[in-house]
Amino acid sequence: MFQRKVFAGLLMLTLAAAGAAVAQTTVALPDTSQTTTLTSIVNEQARVTVPATVSFNVTDVTSSTAASAASVTVSNIVLDTATKQIKVSIQANAASFTPPVAGATTWSATDVTWNAAAWTNATGASGTLSSSAFNSVATCDADAASCSTTGLVFTLGAKGTVKRSRNHTLSITWKFESIGT
Amino acid sequence: MKQRTRIPLLLGGLLLLAAAAPAIEFTSSFESIKIDGRPGEVVNSEFQLHLAPGGKRVHFKARAEDWWPSEDGSRSFYRPAGTLPRSCGTWISLNPVETAVDAGGTLAIRVTAAIPRQAGPGGYWCVLTVDEVPDPLEASEGVAVRFQASVSVGIFINLAPVERAAEIRSVEISRGKSRLQVCNRGNAPVGAEGRLEFLPPGGTSPVATAVIPRATVLTDPAPCRILTADLPGPSVLPPGRYLVRVLLDIGVDHYLGVQREMEIGR
Repeated sequence: MFQRKVFAGLLMLTLAAAGAAVAQTTVALPDTSQTTTLTSIVNEQARVTVPATVSFNVTDVTSSTAASAASVTVSNIVLDTATKQIKVSIQANAASFTPPVAGATTWSATDVTWNAAAWTNATGASGTLSSSAFNSVATCDADAASCSTTGLVFTLGAKGTVKRSRNHTLSITWKFESIGT
Repeated sequence: MKQRTRIPLLLGGLLLLAAAAPAIEFTSSFESIKIDGRPGEVVNSEFQLHLAPGGKRVHFKARAEDWWPSEDGSRSFYRPAGTLPRSCGTWISLNPVETAVDAGGTLAIRVTAAIPRQAGPGGYWCVLTVDEVPDPLEASEGVAVRFQASVSVGIFINLAPVERAAEIRSVEISRGKSRLQVCNRGNAPVGAEGRLEFLPPGGTSPVATAVIPRATVLTDPAPCRILTADLPGPSVLPPGRYLVRVLLDIGVDHYLGVQREMEIGR
């Protein structure tokens, strides 16, 4: 039995060597010069729409005032994986509003709050404005192509010590991020 | 007399128009810049933002800065480049730093990372932040907040040897959500994602699963992160006792896994 296996092996080696020496044929290769490979590199991206301003019609400084509902939209979301998400958050650019007259009492950034609005394809979070950290407003659902709300309501808290009418303004930054390795 | 009253009304109308400034709309890259580099190397990349047509001309300002999230991910902190021990913010130069973009136009920023020769191994990170610069001519009337948009994309620079390691410190389930505490034990940030499997005690195959969305787990100063996942509804996962198995992918050649029996109430 052992001798037969050795013999068969020797025979195959011999045939293989002979084939390599004499059995050469022409093989048709695909003509790569007549094809074009189109490669589209799609980066992670999204379209963002944010409002420019929100006004508070303060008729009684001793009561809180809600602004009209604001709309925020993130659309055409393209991300690396189905589990990545875009986060929407806000931070005040200053610790307090700028009053109409220097030194006048005005509202602090922390007097501004927002609701956990109903979002399409996102989880909204209520919060209080800060000037030192971006606090989450919403996180778009994983694998969502868009997320949006038309019902984000900012509320300005009561401040009975405010004595000056006219313009009290504060700048707020909307942050859109999907920071990941 | 009539003319006199018209002038203030017209002025008021103009001010209201100024107050009702249009929203800003743009398409931005959210692609993190990931570099596997060597000390002394210079690597270039590009960030792009397209302003929607039909809007206003917008000024943008760019900078590299440090970033980290709170443990539960609900807050993000941005500080000047070089604040964090493993910041790459001071290695980054941008061109242009500030520019105006017309409606329908494109902002392209060249991002150059110059890795210092003396930089040690491991992962470094920072972010490229592009801010809309407020237009001083757009006045707000009354009590108002003015919004600016800002986009931040991550910059991650790895210098060999990079050790990716993490551990799952705890698993909690309550009120329809699971919370995992994951801590980075390596020398570079890792992206963590995975799933929870719910098996009946003694069973071998899960009756339900829940996806754990991807999150970045940094090293100092925020080496631990709470990852949350929504549980399936009661029709899929009825109340009861289950073997809860967590499988986490952190980009190495094996999954991290833990399991324990837990009571799931609804």
